Amino acid sequence: MSEKKEMRDLVEKLTKKQEEIRELIKAEIEWEPVGPTPMPEVADLRNWDMRLLKTYKPWYAPFCDLCCLCTYGKCDLTQDRRGACGIDIGTQQARIVLLACLMGCSAHAAHAGHILEYLIDRYGPDKKIDLGTFIEVEAPNIRTVTGLKPETLGDLKNAIEYVYKEITHLLDSTHFGQEGSALDYESKALHASMLDHVGMEVADIAQIVGFNYPTSVADTPLVEMGWGSIDKSKPVILVVGHNPATSTVVIDYLRENGLEDKIEVCGICCTALETTRYSDKAKIVGPLSRQLFFVRTGIADVIMTDEQCINTNMPEEASKVGSALIATLDKAMYGLEDATEMDTDEIIKRMTENKEHFAILEPAKAAEVAAKVAMKIAPQRKKELLSEEEAKKLAEKCTDCGICERACPNLFSIGDGITEMAKGNFEPMKELFNLCIGCGKCERECPQGVPIFRLMQVAASKETWKVRAGRGAVMDTEIRKVGAPITLGTIPGIVAFVGCSNWPDIRDIAEMVDEFARRKYIVVLTGCSAMVAGIWKDKEGRTVYEKYPPDFDAGGVVNIGSCVSNAHISGAAIKIANIFASLPLRANYEVIADYVLNRVGACGVAWGAMSQKAASIGTGFNRLGVPVILGPHSSKYRRLYLSRKEEDDWTVMDARKRELVDTGEPSPEHLAYVAETKEKAMIMIPKLCIRKNDTPQGRSIKLNHYISLYKKYMGGGLPEDLHLYIRRAADIPLVYRKEVMPYLEKIGWKPKEPVGLPTLIGTYPSKVSIDSVIH
Amino acid sequence: MATIPLHRVNVLTGIKGATILEDPGQFTKQIAKAKRPLLVLGPRLLEWSLDGKIVLEYALDIAKAANIPICATSHLKGKLTELGVTPDSVYDVVEIVNALKDPDWKGVKGEGNHDLVIFFGIRSDLQNQCLSVLKHFAFGHLKTMTLDKYYFPHADFSLNNIRKDKDWKAFLEDLTKSLQTKS
Repeated sequence: MSEKKEMRDLVEKLTKKQEEIRELIKAEIEWEPVGPTPMPEVADLRNWDMRLLKTYKPWYAPFCDLCCLCTYGKCDLTQDRRGACGIDIGTQQARIVLLACLMGCSAHAAHAGHILEYLIDRYGPDKKIDLGTFIEVEAPNIRTVTGLKPETLGDLKNAIEYVYKEITHLLDSTHFGQEGSALDYESKALHASMLDHVGMEVADIAQIVGFNYPTSVADTPLVEMGWGSIDKSKPVILVVGHNPATSTVVIDYLRENGLEDKIEVCGICCTALETTRYSDKAKIVGPLSRQLFFVRTGIADVIMTDEQCINTNMPEEASKVGSALIATLDKAMYGLEDATEMDTDEIIKRMTENKEHFAILEPAKAAEVAAKVAMKIAPQRKKELLSEEEAKKLAEKCTDCGICERACPNLFSIGDGITEMAKGNFEPMKELFNLCIGCGKCERECPQGVPIFRLMQVAASKETWKVRAGRGAVMDTEIRKVGAPITLGTIPGIVAFVGCSNWPDIRDIAEMVDEFARRKYIVVLTGCSAMVAGIWKDKEGRTVYEKYPPDFDAGGVVNIGSCVSNAHISGAAIKIANIFASLPLRANYEVIADYVLNRVGACGVAWGAMSQKAASIGTGFNRLGVPVILGPHSSKYRRLYLSRKEEDDWTVMDARKRELVDTGEPSPEHLAYVAETKEKAMIMIPKLCIRKNDTPQGRSIKLNHYISLYKKYMGGGLPEDLHLYIRRAADIPLVYRKEVMPYLEKIGWKPKEPVGLPTLIGTYPSKVSIDSVIH
Repeated sequence: MATIPLHRVNVLTGIKGATILEDPGQFTKQIAKAKRPLLVLGPRLLEWSLDGKIVLEYALDIAKAANIPICATSHLKGKLTELGVTPDSVYDVVEIVNALKDPDWKGVKGEGNHDLVIFFGIRSDLQNQCLSVLKHFAFGHLKTMTLDKYYFPHADFSLNNIRKDKDWKAFLEDLTKSLQTKS
């Protein structure tokens, strides 16, 4: 074949592909011009990733020295050794990180796909997407990444099918003998995680539309939380997981049959949040860390599992305490008999008489069975909690051997609490319960067979709290109001507490939320973090949801919703670029991410993160230019993105002057960072909200918080790197001027001009022109 | 059989585990061999105490005895200041590890990168992960050591798991004496 013909074929192929994409994103509808990267493929945003990774280099902490993924192995990768396939230890870590991000992305994408299929089946593909009066930019992630402006549920299908396709290509790259570069694996992980935000957005838009969740409203109902809030005199249905397809139908069934006040519905993990978006009568038991604890109380008559973060030993756990179990989704069927086609009465008979558990994949049938079984077995419920005297007696079996501490992933000794309990002192156990991540390893390892979780039931607080129900997307009207103060810095930042909340201490998040809301940051929350923020009350008995307004504004505390609602947080950052700065979103990811990185003072805090979903959520934020702080145990994710502020190149382009400027300012300093302690996180959050675009007034406000939190948690002095963030004297907070000026003089600080319009575009090879960042 | 770390989450999945040193003299020998040692101190030193004295004070005795510069991580600086000690550097642990893995880093004294780093008082899962970073990416220029009462498989030199606090206290005091004698 001649070279000319090859070229012609290639151009034809490319054109055909582009045509297909244009069709999928309905390019003919000209709501905005189609940007440079509609439905980007694996390598399309690679240059942006490489630019990020030049400053924020991957920091690998191998969790395992070996590779065990093929039969050429196990391969020892220590001391520069390579595996049989040629892989080195850094690349292997990046490969595992990509796998984790893909697990996370696919969990949300599959959730989205399932919900979408279910709702399209119910309402048809033409059901309109309407998020209410105050939300016009309905799908900022989908618009920015794919170029599609979804108007119906059917349009969302195009978006999720794009995600599925990309997942396949990315997963392929992890096979034996494929990618050989750690940086390219990172680029793929960033791609997978950006897709995760698309998948999450599909899921939550579909849920809001299909289940009539609150939208275009801030003041959502306050719902009850805590195992003490469950009315045990009623039959109790517990929903666990993330997917509300069945739990919402349970609520429908109860409503339709006049049972809503007769049966208690409670939830753990995100399904709890989802269900309370649907009914404010539903209750939240607590986050993932309370799953095993609550299941073992036996309070639930029926347990309904759906997907993600469910204890995989649920059938055995349910049987132990006499609870009935229904697995409602094909993701987790536990080897149970599939009763979807079975006669309802037959299922109920076998569940109540034979104590059998079933998988029922049809929501309406599962809901009916759950309600009827709960009503039948609740009167026979004989699940008394231990008395203090009984607990004391059981605690006396403890020999203080320390094996529980060895097994504990949170590294504390529950044995200390048990030995005190044996003496009649229940307080230490109560305290230790706050550290418990709920894995149950201690109890499994205990050589004396001490029923540790049952002992905890006696000590654990039965206090109840209020959590504001998740409200979904941030309203366009709110963005209009805060866009300028955020980008100028006069609102010091958006702090997003996201993901799992299990450790190091369940109370940490509430304390951090209180600190930053008081300082007039905008605080947003999702998932289990949104729940545990409510596990604290001030002197007047108010949780942070009662103490602070629910608005996306300075000093607001906003529960956005479940895990999939994280897309509304990245979406809010994107909307600032669009609504406030008038940048077009359509297939314009690079420009938007550059805007967010350089101008939107936002910082994620995934403090108790443990799952693969948390990995992809966080990494997705990173690609968009939002730094994320993780808790100390998260070094086990194996990879961070760290800069070295004194050595790295902090040059940006001043888009107005078309000049490269060496700012010397490490803002934001890191993209994925592990803080050792809550105290250190408190100091890092204000620093990671600093952006080069801050006005002198805004910078002064941000530095005021940085210095004051440093003094509070470091016991005095000034931050060691303070000088790097002071451009001119006007940046120095007035209250600290007398202390800061002599310090600056001492170290020979020199003022420098702030950059007018900072951007990374123009500092690396890109199809995007500098003109496109000017608005 | 290989030694198992006290905290099971730190169990080694690999071949190369730390050399266990039990005698303070062996630690002293390794420290003395180093040209530019560094002591990285973490916030757990504020939580632990031995005989009514916080473990941070034992760590400071060791630093003083061998004239080892200190890097204070997390929020430890406040307590150090209270005790009249100015740390030679303040970083969070992932940041100091990030610098240490670069052979060309200038070190906390600006005299060149360190050739021995001693970790003490970091949460054990994080400390083991940080040691893993250095084991894999700094093995050509840096040795690592720990003084916590647990076995850390990713270190070059580690204590064994110590069950009794009195034994750990004796070790720390003997190490201080041994370093004083050596210097």
